[in-house]
Amino acid sequence: MPGDDAVLRPASPSALTLELAYDDAPLRAAPGDTVSAALLRAGRVATGRSLKFRRPRGPFCLQGDCGTCLLRVDGEPNLRACTTRVRAGMQLQSQNRVLPRGPDPTALVDTVFAAGMDHHHFMVRPRLVNTIMQEVARNLAGLGTLPDAPSEPPAPPRHEAPQVLVVGAGPAGLAVLRRLRRAGLAAVCVERLDRDGARARCGDDDAEVRYDTAVFGLYPREHGGGVVAARVHDGDARGIVTFAPRHLVLATGTRDVIVPLRNNDLPGVLAARGLASLLRRTGDTLAVPGVVVGEGERATALARQLRLELLAPTAVEAVLGGARVEAIATREGRRELGVVALAGTPAPASELARQCGARVRWADAGFVVARDETGRAAADTWTTWACGEVCGVAERDAADDGERVAEALLAAIGRAP
Amino acid sequence: MTQRVFVCRCEDVTVAEIQHAIALGLGSVEEIKRYTGLGTGPCQGKECIVALVRLLLAERAVTPEAVQPFTARPPAEPVTLAELASVAGTPPPEDGP
Repeated sequence: MPGDDAVLRPASPSALTLELAYDDAPLRAAPGDTVSAALLRAGRVATGRSLKFRRPRGPFCLQGDCGTCLLRVDGEPNLRACTTRVRAGMQLQSQNRVLPRGPDPTALVDTVFAAGMDHHHFMVRPRLVNTIMQEVARNLAGLGTLPDAPSEPPAPPRHEAPQVLVVGAGPAGLAVLRRLRRAGLAAVCVERLDRDGARARCGDDDAEVRYDTAVFGLYPREHGGGVVAARVHDGDARGIVTFAPRHLVLATGTRDVIVPLRNNDLPGVLAARGLASLLRRTGDTLAVPGVVVGEGERATALARQLRLELLAPTAVEAVLGGARVEAIATREGRRELGVVALAGTPAPASELARQCGARVRWADAGFVVARDETGRAAADTWTTWACGEVCGVAERDAADDGERVAEALLAAIGRAP
Repeated sequence: MTQRVFVCRCEDVTVAEIQHAIALGLGSVEEIKRYTGLGTGPCQGKECIVALVRLLLAERAVTPEAVQPFTARPPAEPVTLAELASVAGTPPPEDGP
């Protein structure tokens, strides 16, 4: 699929009423779209280059988990295209490219270091290379370039002390929120995705959930009381909210992971679950041929949703292409396509649990949170509970698990369920 | 373009480079991270840790019973310095309910 062939076909072209710009070219989008949806519809798949080998990169997870769809938005660097909503007049720019369009001379790095790059040895000899590398290393302060102007001051920080804070509004988190609500307990439930994104992902939402609220840090020792810090990023209302809960319920679900394949970094290699969610969110359909790569029940279900053929990872010899996916090589030969949707088993999102001292153990798909029979994972400043897929529970059982943990929590605080 | 199998796309770390590190005698999740930079990019290891552990298990560098991920520290989600600075200097929260 060379050039700018569209990856997504819009449900209704007349709904694309907003005018934006990407690298100074016009881009159209529908209200409520993510930037990634608009770019994939326009066939703008590669939006940057990788740091080391200078290979073309674009979005992968489409759910705010990975780090390769970063764009400069209205003069602010490093925003994820997949979780940034469009606005009329938005100015988008690709990042980490020498030239926004056309060939990039730094792509030569990929060929020169064909056997890999062990950067430790750059620092030793030869002397000239060493000198150049020192200079490069001193400038590797981060991605992108500085903002055009100081950012708008964030909203003043808010602080709340709910009895129960639920993190995550997937099946397990929603089950906890609703079970506590039935018992007359108003918990605060936060979700990092926006409401459309969360509903597209799990098929359910709730008016009482605070969407666009991403918990980034658990500080059990802060101020002697301990705080849970979240970033609210709902359009213009950006700022920090901190919580001092008595009970913290982690229902953080899973994340999509990379599947080792040759050239699994090419733009157009997307997470199957993220792609399915994006299609549900927008009503778009795929405009290019594709395959799902994965094994098992979940991969089969995703292939059915995406109406694509399922291939086992071992059946794919390589993903082929230049600036984006053009084909795959299989034992049967070359097959032209524009999307390779990876459906590896998602990994438990156990980072937050680990921040507050919960133990994790390896369980095949990733590190699951260890908990006692009631659902308690740690007890420190607050009591941490964990439920759903982050504990290794299957997606279809996650809501039941959340309900069970909510009942144990109610019992622990002496409230009749 | 060169054919590469990526484990970590943020920091461009390939299967071949991890095998090179293992051949040098490095074998734990933490050692591979420090040597290759894997997991230190914008996603902070969310996408790559599983592929890394599977590779280390296949190479018998770790065991499923003992293997642990690298330390999880804030921020687990993107946050700007201006937002973090907005909290600095605010008085400690009152005691809980």
